[in-house]
Amino acid sequence: MNEQIIWIVLKRLRIPFLVIIVTFSISIIGLMLIPGMDDAGKPYHFTFFDAFYFVSYMATTIGFGEAPYSFSYPQRIWVSFSIYLTVIGWFYGIGTIISLIQDKALSRAIEKNSFRKQVLSLHKNFYIILGYNSVTKSIINRLSDQEYRVVVLDKDSAKIDDLILENFYPHVPAFTAEATDQNMLQLAGIHEKNCVGIISLFENDAKNSEIATIVKLLNKKIDIIVKATSSRYIEYFNAMGIKNLQNPFEIISRRMYHSIAAPNIWLLEMWIFGHSLKMKERDKLPQGKYILCGYGRMGKAIESGLKQAGLSYEILDINADNYIKERESTIFGDEEDVQALENVGIHNASCIIAATKDDLLNLTIVQKAKQLNPNIFTIARENSLDELNIFRAAKVNKIFILEQILADVIYNYLARPLSDLFIREIYKQDDMWAEIIIRMLNRVTNMNPDYFELEITHDSTYALALALENSETITLGQLRRSRADRNELLNIVYLLRKRGDEVQLMPESDDEVQMNDQYLIVASHEAKSDFEYIVNNIYELDYVLGK
Amino acid sequence: MNMHKIISGFFFILAMTLNFGFFYGDPTKLIEHSSYELFATIIVNLIATVLKLGDKTQLGAVLLATSLVADIQLIASATVWTFGIYVLDSFQTEAITAVISLSGGALIANIISVILFIGDTLKSKR
Repeated sequence: MNEQIIWIVLKRLRIPFLVIIVTFSISIIGLMLIPGMDDAGKPYHFTFFDAFYFVSYMATTIGFGEAPYSFSYPQRIWVSFSIYLTVIGWFYGIGTIISLIQDKALSRAIEKNSFRKQVLSLHKNFYIILGYNSVTKSIINRLSDQEYRVVVLDKDSAKIDDLILENFYPHVPAFTAEATDQNMLQLAGIHEKNCVGIISLFENDAKNSEIATIVKLLNKKIDIIVKATSSRYIEYFNAMGIKNLQNPFEIISRRMYHSIAAPNIWLLEMWIFGHSLKMKERDKLPQGKYILCGYGRMGKAIESGLKQAGLSYEILDINADNYIKERESTIFGDEEDVQALENVGIHNASCIIAATKDDLLNLTIVQKAKQLNPNIFTIARENSLDELNIFRAAKVNKIFILEQILADVIYNYLARPLSDLFIREIYKQDDMWAEIIIRMLNRVTNMNPDYFELEITHDSTYALALALENSETITLGQLRRSRADRNELLNIVYLLRKRGDEVQLMPESDDEVQMNDQYLIVASHEAKSDFEYIVNNIYELDYVLGK
Repeated sequence: MNMHKIISGFFFILAMTLNFGFFYGDPTKLIEHSSYELFATIIVNLIATVLKLGDKTQLGAVLLATSLVADIQLIASATVWTFGIYVLDSFQTEAITAVISLSGGALIANIISVILFIGDTLKSKR
C-alpha cells in the first residue's frame, strides 16, 4: 500500500522537478559566464559553487544579498532575469506539492493505508459492520463494552465522518467503500484470523444476499449475520447455509403473538432484553377486536401474529407513499379517514395498530383513533429513533421501533449467545411453564433477577477447572452453597446449560459439571459475586464442597 | 515512435556520454577535465532521474536505482572538488583522483542504465 502512495507522488512531481532543475542550471551557467569585479577592481568569474550558492538562496527567495562581491551591471541584469525564471519554477514546484497533499486520490491512498494498519493492529476478535446507521451504531456501542472490536465500511463518506465524530472508544476503524467490493472487504480484514463475523443489515435484501455470497466465497469460517425480510431471500440464505438471519418483521410477528397469547413467555424474552421481570398493567395487550392500519411487510407480520393468537381483526390498508401523494399531507384524520375508521368499527375495537412506514402518519392515526374511542389501546410503529420523544409525548401505549428491535436481537446474538439460545428454547415451552419460571426467579432473587453467562474454563473459573481436572465430581447443587455457611443456599438459578451442541433448560441440581460447559445463570447481585468467588478461589471451593 | 521514449532515451544516453567525456583523461591532472562538463553531466543526470520517476515496472525501478547511484556519485564528485578548492589548504592529487574516480563510478551506473534501456527497447517488438 505504501508503494502506491510513493508512485502517485513521484509521478506528479516529475514536471516540477524538471522545471526546477532546468531553471537552476540556466541561471547557474549564466552567472558563471558573466564577468564581475572583486573588491580590488580585478575581473572575477563566479565558480560553480558561488553560482550554486547564490542561485539557491535567490530562487527560494531567502536572499542573503550579493556575494561574494557586489555585482556588476551585466550580472544584475542576468540576476533580474533569473529571479523571475527560478522563483516561478520554485513556486510552481511548491504549489504542485501542496496541491498533491490536497489531492483526493493521494489522500484516499493515505487513508486506505492507515485504515489497513488500524485493522491489522486489532488483536481482539472483531466484527466487520457494513453500513453505519442508528442500528449499527447501537450495536457498536454495546459491542465495545464487551471484548469485541468493530470495523465499519460505508459507501457514504458523510456517514463515516459521523462515525469519526462519534469518537468511539475503543477506536473503530472506518473507511468509505462500497460493501460489495471484495478488495475493500479484504482491506477490512475479512481474511484476518481474529475476524469473527460480518454484519450486513441493509434495507435491500438483494444487496445483503450479494454481500453474503461474496463473503461466503472469501472466507467460509466467519459468521455472516444478515437481515432478510422477504421469504424468497430467506430461502436463498437458508440454502447457502447462513443460520444467522435476522428478520425484524418475523420478530415482531412472534412478539405480537406472545404478548397476546403467552404473556409470560413474552415477559421472559423482554427480561432478557432488559425489561424488569414483572408484568405491568400497561404492558398487557387487551383482548377483543384489533384494527390494523397499514398492510405492508410490517402489517402482514403483525397480522400473522394476530391470526396465530386467534384474535379478530380488521385491516385498514393505508399505503404511506400513496396516501401522502394523494392527500398531499401526512396528517391523518379528515372526514374520509374518520369514515374509514368507523367502517372498520373503531368504536367497539379494543386496540389499534398503526403500522405504516411513515412515522408522522402513524402518530396521527393513533391520535385520531384515541379521539374517536378514548379507551382504545394504541400501538404505533416507529421507524427512526430520532422521533422517539414525539411518540413518548403522544402517550402511545406501545411503540414498535424496528431499528431498536433489530439492534437488540443482533447484540444479544453476538455478545450473549446463551441468552439468545434461551429465547429460542422458551419459544418451545408453553405459557404455564414460563409463569412458573418467572415466579421462581423472582422468589429466589428477591424480585431482582439478573443474569450472566459463564463458561467453565481456566480463565473464568480457575478453581473449578482445577478441581475438574483432578477428576473430582462436582454437581451444580454443590456449587450453589453459600461460602459463609455451606448449609445455606445461594440465591442463584441455573437457567440453561450448553454442552457441545446439546442445550438443556433448567439443568438438575445433581447434574455433574464438566469442563467447557456454558451456563446461563440467574442471580441477585450479591449472589453473583459470591458465586464467582467460589468458582475462582480454591479455598472457597474446598469449603463449599465440604473438604 | 514514441515521443516519451525519444526524450528519455536522449537524456539517458547524453548522461552517459557527458559522463564519459568528463571521466576521459589523466585522472591525476585536473586540467584534462572540464568543470563545465561535470556540471552538464550532473544536470543531465538529474533530468534523466526525474524522467525515470513514477515508472511502476520492475525495469523502471532498476533504471531509477542506477540513476540515483550516478547522481550520488556525481554530486559527491562535485562536492569533493568544491571542498578541495575552498576548504582544504591545497588541492592535492589525492583529491583530484577522488573527483575523477567518483565520476568513473557514475559512468558505470550510467552504462548499466543505458544497457537496460536498450535491452528493453529490443525486447518490445513494436
